[in-house]
Amino acid sequence: MISSIRSVKKSKKAIVICSIILFFFFTISILAPWISPHDPIQVNLLQKLSPPSWEYPLGTDHLGRCNLSRILHGARVSLGFASLIFISSLGIGLLVGTFAGYKGGWVDVLLMRFCEGVMAFPNLVLVLGIVGLLGPGLWQVVLALTMVQWVYYARMIRGMVVSMKEQNFITAARISGSSTSKIIRTHLIPNIIPPIVVMGTLEMGWAIMDISALSFLGLGIQPPTPEWGAMIHEGKGFIRSHPELMLYPGLMILFVVISFNILGESLSEHFGVKSRN
Amino acid sequence: MKNVQKKMLLFIAALLLVSGFLAGCSSEGSGSTTESGTEEKGNTITMSWPRDIGTMNPHVYNPSQLIGQSMIYEPLVSYEEGGELKPHLAESWEISEDGKEYTFKLREGVKFSDGTPFNAEIVKKNFDAIMKNATSHSWLGVINVLEKTEVVDDLTLKMVLKEPYYPALQDLAVVRPVRFLGEAGFPEDGDTSKGITNPVGTGPWLLDEYKKDEYAVFKRNPDYWGESPELEQVTVKIIPDAETRVMAFEKGELDLIYGEGAISMDSFNQLKESGEYTTDLSDPVGTRSLLLNSTNEKLADLQVRQALQHGFNKQAMVEGITLGLEEKADNILSTNFPYTNVDVNPVEYDVEKAAALLDKAGWKLPSGKTVREKDGQALEFELIYDKTDPIQKSMAETLQAEWSAIGVKLNITGLELTVQIERRKSGNFDIDFWYNYGAPYDPHSFINIVAEKGWGVSEAHSALPMKEELNQQVNDTLASTDEAERQQLYGSILGTLQEQSVFVPISYIKKSVVYQNNITEFKFPANRDEHPFNEIKIKQ
Repeated sequence: MISSIRSVKKSKKAIVICSIILFFFFTISILAPWISPHDPIQVNLLQKLSPPSWEYPLGTDHLGRCNLSRILHGARVSLGFASLIFISSLGIGLLVGTFAGYKGGWVDVLLMRFCEGVMAFPNLVLVLGIVGLLGPGLWQVVLALTMVQWVYYARMIRGMVVSMKEQNFITAARISGSSTSKIIRTHLIPNIIPPIVVMGTLEMGWAIMDISALSFLGLGIQPPTPEWGAMIHEGKGFIRSHPELMLYPGLMILFVVISFNILGESLSEHFGVKSRN
Repeated sequence: MKNVQKKMLLFIAALLLVSGFLAGCSSEGSGSTTESGTEEKGNTITMSWPRDIGTMNPHVYNPSQLIGQSMIYEPLVSYEEGGELKPHLAESWEISEDGKEYTFKLREGVKFSDGTPFNAEIVKKNFDAIMKNATSHSWLGVINVLEKTEVVDDLTLKMVLKEPYYPALQDLAVVRPVRFLGEAGFPEDGDTSKGITNPVGTGPWLLDEYKKDEYAVFKRNPDYWGESPELEQVTVKIIPDAETRVMAFEKGELDLIYGEGAISMDSFNQLKESGEYTTDLSDPVGTRSLLLNSTNEKLADLQVRQALQHGFNKQAMVEGITLGLEEKADNILSTNFPYTNVDVNPVEYDVEKAAALLDKAGWKLPSGKTVREKDGQALEFELIYDKTDPIQKSMAETLQAEWSAIGVKLNITGLELTVQIERRKSGNFDIDFWYNYGAPYDPHSFINIVAEKGWGVSEAHSALPMKEELNQQVNDTLASTDEAERQQLYGSILGTLQEQSVFVPISYIKKSVVYQNNITEFKFPANRDEHPFNEIKIKQ
């Protein structure tokens, strides 16, 4: 199986297929309010745990809410917030990484030791700690994950900046009198963005897993807002009679995270980028 | 060629995934095949409990488990069906005219499991040990009013109270702390709050074998003074996870699953429908209610509180969420407690009436909006719930949806249990879930906290116009010595509370039990915390 995944990801086909799947998920998450058949938080106890029907294509949950609508809206939360985490941690990482890498000296040492300090902890432990301090809630989770993830971007960007700033085209720019900020803006950043986006693709998979995991533990999104991890948690009480309540959101997470991972791996091989794993 | 290989591998991978799935879904069928193993065990049963039974010290609380404590130790008075108090270790008692002196005649011929006799001396020693640590027992009314205990003669004990307190006997029936440890169990300084040396009691069961967090084996006490149980041995296996308990039960490793919330509603119904086991529900042991905090200025208006009560379909909610394991409640206290059999007008589900009440109270729905407003303020509340409790969570979500239909916005906040209790005790909430204590604590513990500050309930009622009067009535009731007067006071207090709708009763909580068919007799104990093993009989 491992060899099969390797061979799949090497092929360009993987990139295309995963991109299509992810494009599909992003589309439904954007269109969720218009394409979902019901209000995802509309409780209807008379219809609870009903089997799939024309009205409820995937049946209903323990409060009679439409499973399909909840999954569609759940995609919105998972993908939306994972993207938010990606953008914010990339932003901070870019700022810190280029600054440390370009400045060098004690600034670099200080920032990088800090990053290493954060990386020394298992990710989830740190996130749990931060969320524990801030209290449960989706914004707190976003904040916690951003606080943990930006260091990976910072470390990598700093490495690339250090190796790049000795290259001839940078030296040329410096000799010709360009200011530091201009060099960073026009020469460094455009060159490091593509590999970083690749890395971000992989991190997106992680972010989705982490959001779901925290919601499953009751620390992430608060009811009644639908979210895949929280839906698995709610379905747990009905695992014997209605395993599908856990299955649907579980499959969604599986598909999205696998797609992100395969896409990320294929892209990173294409660009020659090493990820954190 | 390479392409074909790849496709094959993908196909195999997909196949593995699907088969994994099917295996997962069909576990139901494989679980119940082995039901042997129960046969050879003779007159013994195995049950499970979610937590370790703890130190079997009769005078302390967590982590000691009530079920174990109640097997080894016995009370002076026992609480029976319908709140009737029966002689247990005390054969009879007399109460003085002023209600301050209780004289107990102790049962003759009772021995502790180490052979030492049970007498007034040892009862006093136990009372003294409990009173040494009185602050940790202050929740129990009798401890607060107890002045002293006196040994009159070998089998007569006098209990003197500082002031009359009618539920004293009922308080003596609770599982802890007023139960009796033998001489051999006391540490040298006699202070049991720090630990005991030996769990020596008078009860029908002895702790035989114990391994922390794994199991505890109780054997029948061969020298028990009363009627011996039929069972010879009860093994309590510690299984923290509810689904694991059910699986062990289906495999025949357990004969019995018993307790409040010991089995999920879904599993209970599955086992019931399978027809292979016996399932049963107890009478109500408590009421699940909402507590509407009248110190919130919006909730201070009786019409708003009534509207909220009219504004949700209680019947559908209780049936839908508890899958029939709980029963819709109209009374704040279920009528199987003493003095609680009062007539109430059930508040029926009536959306139009709810809307009319809110209109009358000045909360109007502005056109184009979904939430009612008054003087620019939105009709918005926060409901706090224990986030690990699936029933509270589901009910919170349902109430949110139902009340939105009458123009009330409900924000729901899941909290850690300790935080929820803290916020309740400090009165820092709009709406909260609340349960009464159950037998033998109610109804007197219930009315006590309606008057007594510090538990959140008195605070929630504090904006009622008749709060002072209520407090007075509660004090009168607890000190009353006349049965008829007491009944009348209870009726009046419960009637007022019911009318004022600070408590919104939702459902009656019941205990559930599931057992293998070789158990022929099972009875729920009348006391919520007692064990059920004395009555159990097994088909050989």
